[in-house]
Amino acid sequence: MAPVPMPSALSFELLGKCSVTKARAANLQLPHGPVPLPIFMPVATQASLKGLTPEQLEETSCRLCLNNTYHLGLKPGQATLDAIGGAHKFQSWPHNILTDSGGFQMVSLLKLAKVTEEGVRFLSPHDGSPMLLTPEHSISLQNSIGSDIIMQLDDVIATTSPDLARMTEAMERSIRWLDRCIKAHKYPERQNLFCIIQGGLDLDLRRQCTAEMVARDTPGIAIGGLSGGEEKTSYCKVVDTCTGLLPENKPRYVMGVGYPEDLVVSVALGADMFDCVWPTRTARFGNAITARGVLNLRNAVYAEDFGPIEDGCQCTCCRSQEAGGLGITRAYIYHVTAKETAGAHLLTMHNVHYQLNLMKRAREAILEDRYPAFLKEFFATLHGDKKKYPEWAVTALKGVGVDLMVD
Amino acid sequence: MAEQISTPNLAQLPPEMLDFTLLKTTGALAPRLGRLSIPGRKTILTPVFLGNSSRGTIPHISQDNFRKSIGLNGLYMALEDFVEKHPQKTPPIFQLDAPDPLRQFNSIPNETLVVLGARRQPPIYSPIANTNTEVGLLTSVGYKSISSDYYAAAARKLHPDIVIGLADIPFGQESVGLKRKDKMSDRTEVWTRDIIAKRDGIDKGEPRYNIFAPILPIDRDLQSWYLEHLVDDMISKISGVAIYDAYLLDDLPEELHHLPRLSFHAPASPQEILRQVSLGMDIFTIPFVSDATDAGIALDFTFPAPTTTTSPTRQTLGVDMWQESHAISVTPLSASCTCYACTKHHRAYIQHLLAAKEMLGWVLIQIHNHAVLDAFFVGIRTSIANGTFDRDVAAFEAFYEPTLPEKTGRGPRVRGYQFQAEEHGKPEKKNPKAWKKDIEEKKLKGEKVKLMAAHGQQPNRKKEVQDVIDDEALIGLVDLQGVDVVELENIKIEDDKS
Ligand SMILES: [Zn+2]
Ligand SMILES: [Zn+2]
Repeated sequence: MAPVPMPSALSFELLGKCSVTKARAANLQLPHGPVPLPIFMPVATQASLKGLTPEQLEETSCRLCLNNTYHLGLKPGQATLDAIGGAHKFQSWPHNILTDSGGFQMVSLLKLAKVTEEGVRFLSPHDGSPMLLTPEHSISLQNSIGSDIIMQLDDVIATTSPDLARMTEAMERSIRWLDRCIKAHKYPERQNLFCIIQGGLDLDLRRQCTAEMVARDTPGIAIGGLSGGEEKTSYCKVVDTCTGLLPENKPRYVMGVGYPEDLVVSVALGADMFDCVWPTRTARFGNAITARGVLNLRNAVYAEDFGPIEDGCQCTCCRSQEAGGLGITRAYIYHVTAKETAGAHLLTMHNVHYQLNLMKRAREAILEDRYPAFLKEFFATLHGDKKKYPEWAVTALKGVGVDLMVD
Repeated sequence: MAEQISTPNLAQLPPEMLDFTLLKTTGALAPRLGRLSIPGRKTILTPVFLGNSSRGTIPHISQDNFRKSIGLNGLYMALEDFVEKHPQKTPPIFQLDAPDPLRQFNSIPNETLVVLGARRQPPIYSPIANTNTEVGLLTSVGYKSISSDYYAAAARKLHPDIVIGLADIPFGQESVGLKRKDKMSDRTEVWTRDIIAKRDGIDKGEPRYNIFAPILPIDRDLQSWYLEHLVDDMISKISGVAIYDAYLLDDLPEELHHLPRLSFHAPASPQEILRQVSLGMDIFTIPFVSDATDAGIALDFTFPAPTTTTSPTRQTLGVDMWQESHAISVTPLSASCTCYACTKHHRAYIQHLLAAKEMLGWVLIQIHNHAVLDAFFVGIRTSIANGTFDRDVAAFEAFYEPTLPEKTGRGPRVRGYQFQAEEHGKPEKKNPKAWKKDIEEKKLKGEKVKLMAAHGQQPNRKKEVQDVIDDEALIGLVDLQGVDVVELENIKIEDDKS
């Protein structure tokens, strides 16, 4: 199938590159405004981010968030989205939205989903009726959602699957489905379709897939099928291999990645965009993300800790009242978490701010060409003792020229 | 609104002293307008309602939203929300080294007036009986009791603007014997004297609080000694009264009439608020606001009622946002409302949020419901000022249904300490697996099971099972185990064109 050149609804401006690692800083201009790269995108699964109003989300500095096509397809459903005029209007979010294809959700949530060349067959969790999600349906739904970045339907299988034949089939099918998605996409001039590189942990498959997908010239490129429980070392190899083959002038999105360590390492490996439900989901259980690690504020040791969630944090919760913030303390989060929903709202604001701010600091470091020093400081703050540094991160960063063990 | 707030001459008052000025009264059992001022806090015009907080915040309202989207100048807080570590440990809030711990701990704006009582509103029955020296509480970890000494010490440490004296009321008891009623009166008097003495014992220079004395929900003769002593010995020491039965306002000694009246008689409807206002009540906590929010009901009434005479039926007091009829409605919760939820969002989104069990649904309805109540009280004050209150009440009662709509949807998860004594079983969660049986039965009957395209399906097509998905779906609660996979392959595709 001959690749058809695609119109693009984004512009990508590379602003700086780390002189040691593969890290990049860029501006991504999307239909609903500019987005700085690298970036973390919080996940508003059902068109809402864990109780935050769009204003509150905006205040964390978020300008690009995720909605899940699978969930919006079920609720409110395509008819409603069409009637209302898309997800931006539906949730009153004036900034950018990225939607997944729905395929991953189906395969991970619905154990009985079955993939054929046609699409993904599954039973509706609504009423148990059998359903079929094809590449065309997925794009049609995402066209109705009106998201600024839409994702192709891909054939996702666990990276840990030992079945090389099935892995190859999934990779090849994902390419065929990309062609069907490109063909079905009604609004390429206002929605950016990203391809998704598959191929499991097999680097040859990944290379083949990358070559095929790059040839299709989508506005952006995602590396998919990761964060499924594979070893971190294998994960890093896949990201490193793919980014090495990608054109410099397009955004690179690694799907489903969100732990702070994963973010800073993946940036060093040349990735730009990340999403993960973890920072917001974990807030509900009282977990606060900080530079020194995750704190479970439901632990009684925090009951009398009247410091902010994280010292120096500039989020709405942590900033002092004198500085226009709320001056929320760890003790208050302890007091309210799991008892009033407002506790989850507060911690969600902090966690999203932490993730976005981490990427902002990384970007500044890249622009000032001190990303290696940033990485060293990040790991030193997080772990203190070098002996506690995770081996996968040390290895991966050594591969791009940064030795964490040397100050 | 033509409401004028002329500031009283606060400079002449001691720093924490409450000033209550009656701006308009027309007799003993009649609506009245007042102005309550405490230096440093926003002046409050009465009749008014206070935010009814739970663990430091209005339910579903984070502190930034309280500042941005809830226009309330006063907040009611319950000590029982903060003392679960008592008596084993000193509760954390008492360890906070700050000039204003209650505000600081809960991030309450400086200008917001804070009223502290022992119990949440409405209080939940505590099986720990009150004694001569202690009252029973219900904290988030269970029943506790605290002494009058402890309460006074807490008030001193936390310094709210107003403290409600302890009342000996056996909440939840169906009938209370005469002897018990005598005891109620005796104990309440002792405790009221006690907190006055403790407050007056606070060193000069240390901030003091204002005391509202409880008026018990029993006949005047049964608390006559207490009331007499209030009038004779304590009147200059108290700044207001807390009324537990609004219909006994008639019994309130005349000497206490100049004091602001806080109602602890929870109204069940706006009409009941109006009735209490018509008897001269000034300040309310209104538990039905959050109850309506939890039930997904967006309040929808104004005072005075609209003057349209066309509708032959009474209008509902609230809109059940669970109803699927809102699913594609891009109109606000209420056309005339200017709250954040109504100016930024529409019914379709809010209906979706409830159906999807997203917390934001309750946030938006709560913001709206507070705005509706706030406007309702502005309307009440204007109506009293204009001298049209009685007529407006009659028109309101004729225009609206007498009670709030029945709740149909499931609310957010309720914690133990939030349970209300009178709350009966909630609608049961439908067995998520029920539909599997449906399909099995269809297959047995040889009926064709249609294959639908994943797009184009109607929203919420089957009410019984829509509850299955919520955000828990992400972590795998939607399991399809036990459904025959093979069956799937032999089904013909038929797009859902409906
Ligand atoms: Zn913070
Ligand atoms: Zn409103």
